[in-house]
Amino acid sequence: MTAPPTITLTVNGRTLECRRVPDDERLLDTLRWRLGLKGTKEGCRTGDCGACTVLVDGESVLSCLALTHTVEGSSLVTVEGIAAEPLGKAVVAAFQAEGAVQCGYCTPGFVVALTGLLKERGPKASREEILAALSGNLCRCTGYSPIIRATERLLEKHR
Amino acid sequence: MIRSDLAAKLAGRTTFGADLDRPGMLWAALVLSPVAHGRIRRVDLSKVRKAPGVVVAITAPDVEKLLPKGSGDPERPVFPTREVLYRHQPIAAIAARTLSEARAAALLAEVDIDPLPIVDDIETVFPEWPEPSKKPNSAVVAHVHARHGDLEAAFREAEFVHSETYRTAGVHQVALETHACLAEVEGAIWRVTTSTQSPFSVREDLSSQLGLPESAVVVEGSWVGGGFGGKTSALLEPFALLLAAAAGAPVRLALSYREEFLLGRTTLPCVVRIESSVAKGRVTGRRVRMLLDCGSTMPSRDFATGYAITFLLGPYNVDTFEVEGYGLRTNKPPFGPHRAPLIPQLTFVIDSHMDSIARRLSVDPIAFRRAHVWHEGDSTALGQRIGPSGIDSALERAEKTVLRWRGNAPREHGFGIGVGYWSTGVSAGGEARLRLTPQELVIEQGEREIGSGSVVRGLVAVAERSLGLPASAIRVAYSDTASAPFDSGVFGSRTVGALGQAVQKASEELVRELEARTGTKGSLRLEFDGRSIRAVASGLRRPIAELLTPEELNEGGLKAHGKFYGPPMKFDESRVVAGSFYPVADVVGAVHLAEVSVDRETGAVKVHRYAAFHDVGVALDMAMVRAQVEGGVVMGLGTALTEESLWSSEGSLRNPGLLDYRLPRLNDVPPIEVYPVEGFPGAGPFGAKGVGEPPIIPVPAAVANAVADATGARVFELPLSPERVARALKLL
Ligand code: FES
Ligand code: FES
Repeated sequence: MTAPPTITLTVNGRTLECRRVPDDERLLDTLRWRLGLKGTKEGCRTGDCGACTVLVDGESVLSCLALTHTVEGSSLVTVEGIAAEPLGKAVVAAFQAEGAVQCGYCTPGFVVALTGLLKERGPKASREEILAALSGNLCRCTGYSPIIRATERLLEKHR
Repeated sequence: MIRSDLAAKLAGRTTFGADLDRPGMLWAALVLSPVAHGRIRRVDLSKVRKAPGVVVAITAPDVEKLLPKGSGDPERPVFPTREVLYRHQPIAAIAARTLSEARAAALLAEVDIDPLPIVDDIETVFPEWPEPSKKPNSAVVAHVHARHGDLEAAFREAEFVHSETYRTAGVHQVALETHACLAEVEGAIWRVTTSTQSPFSVREDLSSQLGLPESAVVVEGSWVGGGFGGKTSALLEPFALLLAAAAGAPVRLALSYREEFLLGRTTLPCVVRIESSVAKGRVTGRRVRMLLDCGSTMPSRDFATGYAITFLLGPYNVDTFEVEGYGLRTNKPPFGPHRAPLIPQLTFVIDSHMDSIARRLSVDPIAFRRAHVWHEGDSTALGQRIGPSGIDSALERAEKTVLRWRGNAPREHGFGIGVGYWSTGVSAGGEARLRLTPQELVIEQGEREIGSGSVVRGLVAVAERSLGLPASAIRVAYSDTASAPFDSGVFGSRTVGALGQAVQKASEELVRELEARTGTKGSLRLEFDGRSIRAVASGLRRPIAELLTPEELNEGGLKAHGKFYGPPMKFDESRVVAGSFYPVADVVGAVHLAEVSVDRETGAVKVHRYAAFHDVGVALDMAMVRAQVEGGVVMGLGTALTEESLWSSEGSLRNPGLLDYRLPRLNDVPPIEVYPVEGFPGAGPFGAKGVGEPPIIPVPAAVANAVADATGARVFELPLSPERVARALKLL
């Protein structure tokens, strides 16, 4: 058996090498346990909750489903790095202002997913389009209303 | 919103139970029972122990060797010794170098269990239902019975007796973070850091289950990724601690999401027969019988039935009644707390029933409820006097809102009211310490924030009002059970109401001490200029730095200790025939209004608008009240419409995942209007009432009554899935 390969990733602007990454290692585990970036949350591990969302080359990805070797060479943004981007910073501020956080376990996933959506679809995206796309993220505490208000606040600002 | 935890949570810097980690830590997995009921012949871990990466593996006989006293509470063994009682009951535990090694090894356990018959359905094990049991029945683990007045006469003299049977499903808390903990055993100290709503309850459980003195057990709460009742007692901690003791290394144990569904202690199914005698437009008597699935081995089954059943009489004056409930043992995980456990379901029963009587009488459903609802000075069924109650005031406001909404809604939409109440758990006590330094006020207490904000914001709001300080000068400190003052736990919507009173009392003590030091009386407040704190009273304005002794300045400030242990509450025991009932502590009412439409082909229910009127006593922070109501309503919409634990006849949960157990999603949520009803003070600080649980309570009733209004058809079973609604509409 050959040793599993070394994988290069850029995470929040820093280029990192991960050695001996097994073929079946999931990006979520690489981030949390190999790189110690525990801001990305583990919820269901089956793609059904969105808590593990990260940006891979600007696009939202469920890190519990992605195998680490499939994102080799990509540039990743996790919640720890999200506020370094102007859009991410605006999302964080809107969540803070609307109190769109209770236990905070879903929060990193929402913040990253919403930042990704706004980036991808542009600031002119419709409210309905954004909210429909955010519906893959689950929150058990807030009832979503403040998350919806935070989203509306952001869309208004960019109009 | 003023909450000191938001910035860290938004930056991903908060350490939850699932994030805990130590150098040299081992990863644990559990071996789960393959059958729901059976006699254990053999649990052989020899292959497990030889598997790659495995450090230790333990099962029942190993436990004794690991415990200093050789055994714990025989009633609550860590692993079953003779009989497994539910499918997926943990029967062994493994610690390995990696999680995948631990999980792979768990599959190598050789488990030999002789299957025994399974009890899964409460109606089949209670053949007399709905009549009370006359025959001894080994499945009955709790029996409660209370009555008052001449019910037979009321039924005889009635114009009619309205009789209905309702059924409700089991539901899961589904906190987004699963149970997770990290255990370390060093010398005689058994230490666990865990995602819990109650570090002191976990300590008590561990001390009894492991036979250790409380001083040898130290529990530290981590940040909690949602609790909703599911994290109030020990679940994984005993396994993790025993593994850590066996391995001599820290051990992390966290459930997978599937395991969270399979092992979690949740609300289980219930059946209710409810009958009301009606004369001259009023309910003159009510008879209620309930069968409650208690699952296996529930330690507090009497509590579940006795506490729940009186809610079936609603917040209504009905002096002539009989309630009788049976708790039944089944081969499911034990019944456990869940945001107002079972009360949204029972409120669905009583308030559907009230609505249904009003419709039979062709009277306005709100007016009908207002003719019966509690006011201050009325009595509960068990003869306790009701304090200031805003329920009628909430009903009055809902009445006006319905008129307005009907005026601008499509004709096919239906409107429904749900009236609920909660008894805030202010009788569970707690203590807090305050430390006043020249720059800040520190609240030392024993809880962690579970998300609702009751600790991180609620306790701060109490100190703010008590002392005059702004939130920016107040910090909540967290520590473990070895150093924090005792508190009962974050449950029962009691944190602000009970622990808050300990903070209030400590604040008063601080003020008294500062008044003594400054020779002022009765008006001293604290002020903060962004850097330092001053004591201010008429003719006085002095920095705190000048009022503290050198020792106090060196040792963390001026200290004050506050305790709150609610007075014992009484009810009229003469009304109790059998079993244990529980007094109502502080009645908190809520009235909800739902506007729905029903798809006449599929039976799918859509909620278009929602309004919640909450008797909050005095809102200490309206933004927090609103947050609790918005969150609770949506959780309640899940109970009302989609959430349901489904068991197979072999006793396994058929939908242990988020794909099949469907939670409300962002695009399911209607606009929700939140209206506080103030002016009816409660037992909490400054008249505050608990607001964590009340918002979920009236939701299923409001939705079901709106469906009945839209279609004329009543659904007698939760959740109101398209299939059940379609059946009620005779589409199926
Ligand atoms: S953890 Fe990835 S979607 Fe739930
Ligand atoms: S804030 Fe707790 S799950 Fe969203």
